[in-house]
Amino acid sequence: MGVVKQIWVALTGTLAWRIPRRARHLLWAFSRAELGSALDMLAAVEATERRDLRKKYFRHAMDEWRHSVIFREQAQSMGPTDAELAGRDEAGMLVENGIVGGRTLFERLGERDFLAFVYVAEGDAVEHFEVYHRLRLPNAGTLAAMDGILKDEVFHVTYSRAELDRMAQGGQGKEARRAILRTRWNRLKERWMRLSRDIGAVTSAVWLTALYLLVIWPFRLIARLDGGGWQVPPVEPRDRLLAARSEA
Amino acid sequence: MSTWILGISALYHDAAAVLLCDGVVVAAAQEERFTRVKHDASLPVRAVSWCLHQASIERGDLDWLVFYEKPLRKFERIVATDVATFPRSWRSFPRHMHSWLGDKLWIRGRLVDTFGVPTERILFCEHHLSHAASAFLASPHRQAAVLVADGVGEWATTSLWRGSDQAPFLEPVAEVRWPHSLGLLYSAITAHLGFAVNEGEYKVMGMAAYGEPRMREQIDRIAHLEADGSFSLDMDYFCWHWHPTRSATPKLAALLGPQRLPGTPFAPRARPGDASAAVIAESQRHADLAASVQSWLEDAMLHLAGHAARTIGTDTLCLAGGVALNAVANHRLAAEGPFAHLWIQPAAGDAGGALGAALWAWHAVLGNPRNDLPFRVDLGPQQDRGHTVEILDDLGFRYEVLEEAATDRAVEDLVAGHVLGWVQGRAEWGPRALGHRSILADPRGADTAERVNRRIKLREPFRPFAPSVTAAGAAGFKLAPAAAAPARHMLVAAPVQAALAAQIPAVIHVDGSARVQVVDPDAHPAYHALLERFGQATGLPILLDTSFNLKGEPIVGSVVDALATFARSGLDVLYLDGIRVQRPPAYIDTQPKASS
Amino acid sequence: MSTPSSRPSTPAPAPARGMQARVDGWLLRMGTVGQLLAMLTRGGRWWMLPLVGVLMLAAVVLIALQSVQYVAPFIYLVF
Repeated sequence: MGVVKQIWVALTGTLAWRIPRRARHLLWAFSRAELGSALDMLAAVEATERRDLRKKYFRHAMDEWRHSVIFREQAQSMGPTDAELAGRDEAGMLVENGIVGGRTLFERLGERDFLAFVYVAEGDAVEHFEVYHRLRLPNAGTLAAMDGILKDEVFHVTYSRAELDRMAQGGQGKEARRAILRTRWNRLKERWMRLSRDIGAVTSAVWLTALYLLVIWPFRLIARLDGGGWQVPPVEPRDRLLAARSEA
Repeated sequence: MSTWILGISALYHDAAAVLLCDGVVVAAAQEERFTRVKHDASLPVRAVSWCLHQASIERGDLDWLVFYEKPLRKFERIVATDVATFPRSWRSFPRHMHSWLGDKLWIRGRLVDTFGVPTERILFCEHHLSHAASAFLASPHRQAAVLVADGVGEWATTSLWRGSDQAPFLEPVAEVRWPHSLGLLYSAITAHLGFAVNEGEYKVMGMAAYGEPRMREQIDRIAHLEADGSFSLDMDYFCWHWHPTRSATPKLAALLGPQRLPGTPFAPRARPGDASAAVIAESQRHADLAASVQSWLEDAMLHLAGHAARTIGTDTLCLAGGVALNAVANHRLAAEGPFAHLWIQPAAGDAGGALGAALWAWHAVLGNPRNDLPFRVDLGPQQDRGHTVEILDDLGFRYEVLEEAATDRAVEDLVAGHVLGWVQGRAEWGPRALGHRSILADPRGADTAERVNRRIKLREPFRPFAPSVTAAGAAGFKLAPAAAAPARHMLVAAPVQAALAAQIPAVIHVDGSARVQVVDPDAHPAYHALLERFGQATGLPILLDTSFNLKGEPIVGSVVDALATFARSGLDVLYLDGIRVQRPPAYIDTQPKASS
Repeated sequence: MSTPSSRPSTPAPAPARGMQARVDGWLLRMGTVGQLLAMLTRGGRWWMLPLVGVLMLAAVVLIALQSVQYVAPFIYLVF
């Protein structure tokens, strides 16, 4: 990990882990990320044509599931979140698990780029955990849990790197290096897009709230919700096909 | 030339795809089984892809695509509500508008882009009509009253329909509108009792059996049964119509007592364990609250059914909408209600809307008559034998290909006290496992339920498991005659005769009831054969049947899902369509985690 | 070479949209807006028409920004 990145991880980690609410959020985020990885690996078991890799992907999936449970238990030990109190199901909040537009990560990337993704992503995780370990973040209990996870992540880095090296020995060295570079670039792009979406969410919330406060209030005088009890349903038009084509 | 219709539900709960060929269902599946995200609501791209593959057609062969609701009416309701509840809706409005203006309002374009169906071939079916069609048009009945009760569709939360044998087959009679909702009332209490909404309602139903309706008076204060056969709610206690995440105002807690925190131990008087007196008292209060809202809901369903019978005058009631999954209420409807026949859509939630929308398009829009084909639930994917064996070899699992001998071997395993994973044939449609993607165990052991829960399902200990039984063995379950059809799909919880209950403690709830599946030999021949053989071996053709999944996950889909679940659980053995698979190999950590 | 799963791989999405496709998309949206306005008029909620008009303007902005996500942070910072 470069020095700049180390400093960045150390700074943001120190800030995040010191605030209990933020620490709990991070643990839940890690849990969801691990669960997403587990689903990615399971999909790879199904889709790969490399029969020799299936066992490694399967073991990787099992590891990620176990990690997800560890982080979830750590998060739950810090008390219920607002979402839990409101009855929102955690599983329902796993929006992206590598499945975008219906396609799994493996389907989108193909074998080589998928292995590059595993190598880069797991390598990043190892580096993050090493920084936290050095700084004794967040606490002894969570660090002990992370130690076990770290061993598995090292295995994930090792086997994916070994496969990429095998590709290089088979004459695909340039392609393998490009796959790693492509993965790093795509991860940067995704971080940018996430930032963009987050800023967009905040900005649109501000503007829509302003719209609400400025524009909605006069209509309040006219708008009414129905009381309970039976109401007469709307009359359906006779031309059923025409009515069916309508979104209204 | 065949007519292919694809029905789709998505964007809110339980995305699903259903494919009809000339009005016959050839494939149906929920998206969650493919993405492995429970209640996945995103556009069901993978489910559609599988449906087309199953039918060996391409997207270009689709004649019609039918979406299960009218998005513009829903948008109207959301805007009108945010306006009507100004200024309390200030948090909801930005979220609603960001979601709708950025995405949901333009669903037609997304459907065109994603599925390649021309815009003039895309139809939209009203939400409650989708539900009503999923019940009535899938049933064998030609005349019926149809009752739909859920959270909310476009505007309707409860609706009554007249089902007939002539187009348009379903005629709307009356509806109760947002924000007065049976489904959301039950969900609000679910959240108040510390469970997740759209997932925890079953838990409230299970908890209710431990209590008495001592808080019925309080429930009656917030929810009223009206003289005209409908209901209304006192919305001062609820805020689902103006708060983005919460369902209830502080007034509800003031009336019913403080909210139960998620994960709080539940130790009512009937199962105190070593809990303190304070915990027992608090747990009992929660159980009584659950019993009170359950009691009110049952009375409400009977009240609505009574009005339906008086208004429509048939002897059959078809039910759909999420509330129709309340098996305890369904039993009372069957036993005490005015109808001789009850038919409930097995996928009564939003996934069933995909089926109903497709059926509605075929019959009501395109003018085709009803057919006499019985409705089957084995509509999902089936494992490919060659692929299964290859996966087992590649992952290092040890296995035996037993074929027909698998049934006898499974019986041996069950009698020896083993808990089996059972994958057989095509996957079930709907949330219940009916012998195709099931976890099975001998129900006779006193500790079976505790073992299955502690080692595999990791559910709250108070939740009961359910039995499957052959018709010959069903005499001890006090099913009302009207419950015969829903009992085939495990949709009714019936009392059990004491003598039988004593023999199968693992599947009997604390109140002596069981949510039983009476297995139809024509619909589930392999499962029925297993039950019969088990009956020959033990004298009781009854098995504990729970869904093949771990806590928080969808029911298993592919063979890889089944093996991954097997490897992460305390299951003893797995059966995959006649292949007996032994405990996972050593390279996989198979220790189940302690329940939380 | 492995045997095919019972589960097909999901087809890749359609290639990036050309100008005609974008125009078609906007035409579809306009159709939707037309249906929305007609529905409100038919159903007696005429009072929502001006409000929905304002919301549709907001929708145009939201959709336009979504299509330029790479530069969106700069736009947001300006606006």
